[in-house]
Amino acid sequence: MNESWEKEKRFKIHEVWPLFPAAVYLVGFLIIVGVYLLGLSFSIEKNGATAFPSVGTVSAVLSNPEFRRALLDTTLFVAVGTPLELAVGLFLALILYQQFRFRNFIRGLFLIPLAIPVLVTATILFILFDYPGGHVNHLLLGHYGFFPALVHVPLNWRGSEFLALGISMLGKVWRDMPISMLILLSGLNAIDPELFDAARTMGAGLRRRIWHVVLPLMIPSMSAVVLLRSIEMWKEFIFPFVLAGKYALLGTLIESMYNDWGNSSGAAAVALVLVLCIVATTFVFLWITEVLRKHLVRT
Amino acid sequence: MRMAVPDPSLHIKRAKTALWAAALASAVLLVVVPVYLLVKYSISDAASINTGGAPIPLWPYHPTFRSFTYLFSDAHFYGVIINSLIIAVCTVGLSMCLGVPAAYVLGRFRVPGRRLLLLGLISVRLFPDIASVIPITEFFIRLRLQNTYAGAILAHTLLALPYVIFIGMSAFESIPADLDQQARVLGANRFSVFFRILLPLAVPGLVAAAIYTFLLSWDEFIFAYFILGLGKISTLTLYLKQKLAYSPPQNLLAAISVLLSLPVIVFSLMLQKYMTTGITTGSVK
Repeated sequence: MNESWEKEKRFKIHEVWPLFPAAVYLVGFLIIVGVYLLGLSFSIEKNGATAFPSVGTVSAVLSNPEFRRALLDTTLFVAVGTPLELAVGLFLALILYQQFRFRNFIRGLFLIPLAIPVLVTATILFILFDYPGGHVNHLLLGHYGFFPALVHVPLNWRGSEFLALGISMLGKVWRDMPISMLILLSGLNAIDPELFDAARTMGAGLRRRIWHVVLPLMIPSMSAVVLLRSIEMWKEFIFPFVLAGKYALLGTLIESMYNDWGNSSGAAAVALVLVLCIVATTFVFLWITEVLRKHLVRT
Repeated sequence: MRMAVPDPSLHIKRAKTALWAAALASAVLLVVVPVYLLVKYSISDAASINTGGAPIPLWPYHPTFRSFTYLFSDAHFYGVIINSLIIAVCTVGLSMCLGVPAAYVLGRFRVPGRRLLLLGLISVRLFPDIASVIPITEFFIRLRLQNTYAGAILAHTLLALPYVIFIGMSAFESIPADLDQQARVLGANRFSVFFRILLPLAVPGLVAAAIYTFLLSWDEFIFAYFILGLGKISTLTLYLKQKLAYSPPQNLLAAISVLLSLPVIVFSLMLQKYMTTGITTGSVK
């Protein structure tokens, strides 16, 4: 018996060896990322020497007003951007949920933002939201006959924290909306129309049907969108880097700490905080989803 | 004589259709307008950009390809494209060499702890790029790989490899299970089965993975920016960033953007099936 077990074991290892180079590569880099991230975050430069372990860098970062500002702005960026991504994704998914001519063509068209490199999308916004010219300012000033004047002076989009982070969010939502759309569309397609009809036959009104039939069945796809999009919002770097310049989110703060200030330990500490924020958000969303699912199914 | 009474449900139906059509039109505009304006800017003449306060035209006064000819008359720009190509092609090569054998094993054999293994393989990608780029850059500085092709290729391979494994795995899984068993019964060894039977059948999926890897490397910015900086080896994305910093004419920015996007858009639309599979796999229970 032992002999045959050994044979089986050897046979399997012989079969799976082609997996090893890729596994070593990916797991090796995972270890490098983890070790360096923790090593840099918990070390501090003192009199030309590096002291490890030390919480000096982390505590210096946490008490840094720029970090606090970036953390607050990133939190708002996630809190506003995530529902926006859900809403836009749902809007597109509901359009495609109908059967109509050229549906596949329109579906392909809606995927275009995903095919455009992020840096290019940021560049498009950089051009369109130019100050004092730029299409958007000209549109809002009422220079085109088809749109009413909404402002009297051009807006300096990249010169204000609110506007700069706002257009960064706009770019992010525009670029990622096909992903939300596809996930929600697959959720919608998974709903059996007979369930909806059965609820109607049993006397449930539209509100009850949406609340008790559609919504519980849509929870997996909606929570997937909220979870994935919130993670992406936390991770965002390119849009604020190009469009918001000095108004930092955590991602752009990491870059400026590393490249401009030469503070690799500080940058790693901010990166660590970013990772922890993502982990915390993931757990909170999973908990909320579970509570919501139980509540909707029970009632 | 009785008057025909309009059916109220018909009105509601028409209103709903009109509402849906308006929503569809606005969604199409939302997607198409930015892309249209990018193309419009790329072929705009100077007078269509610097209008002196007059409305920027929705179509250039005198469409021109001058921005493109300017770019292609610049020897440095050719160097940038060649750099991007070298890095992207080598990334494809390395990713396929590492990823295809792994995909074959995961797609054809019952590997113990498969789920855990898959999680382990994508774990490094769960870190935000902007967070993992710091440790990797520091590691590459120690190995003197900063500002080198090798550094960029290794980093891009790290980004692409999980995708190659996942796309390749589904390509191998889609081949009927008893095909290789029958070939083994007929006397073919493991290598013959892989190279003569399974690999040719998996080619469409693997080509998709290769193109996806190429595009990922072609338009990658964060790792290229940290590892190559704005130094000697410049890629197209770094070139665009460099130009953005100096606020050059918008038609030039748009022309670079069009050249950067064109292969990505063309191939992405060709690979729609794989893109949507990759996006939705695992995201919906």
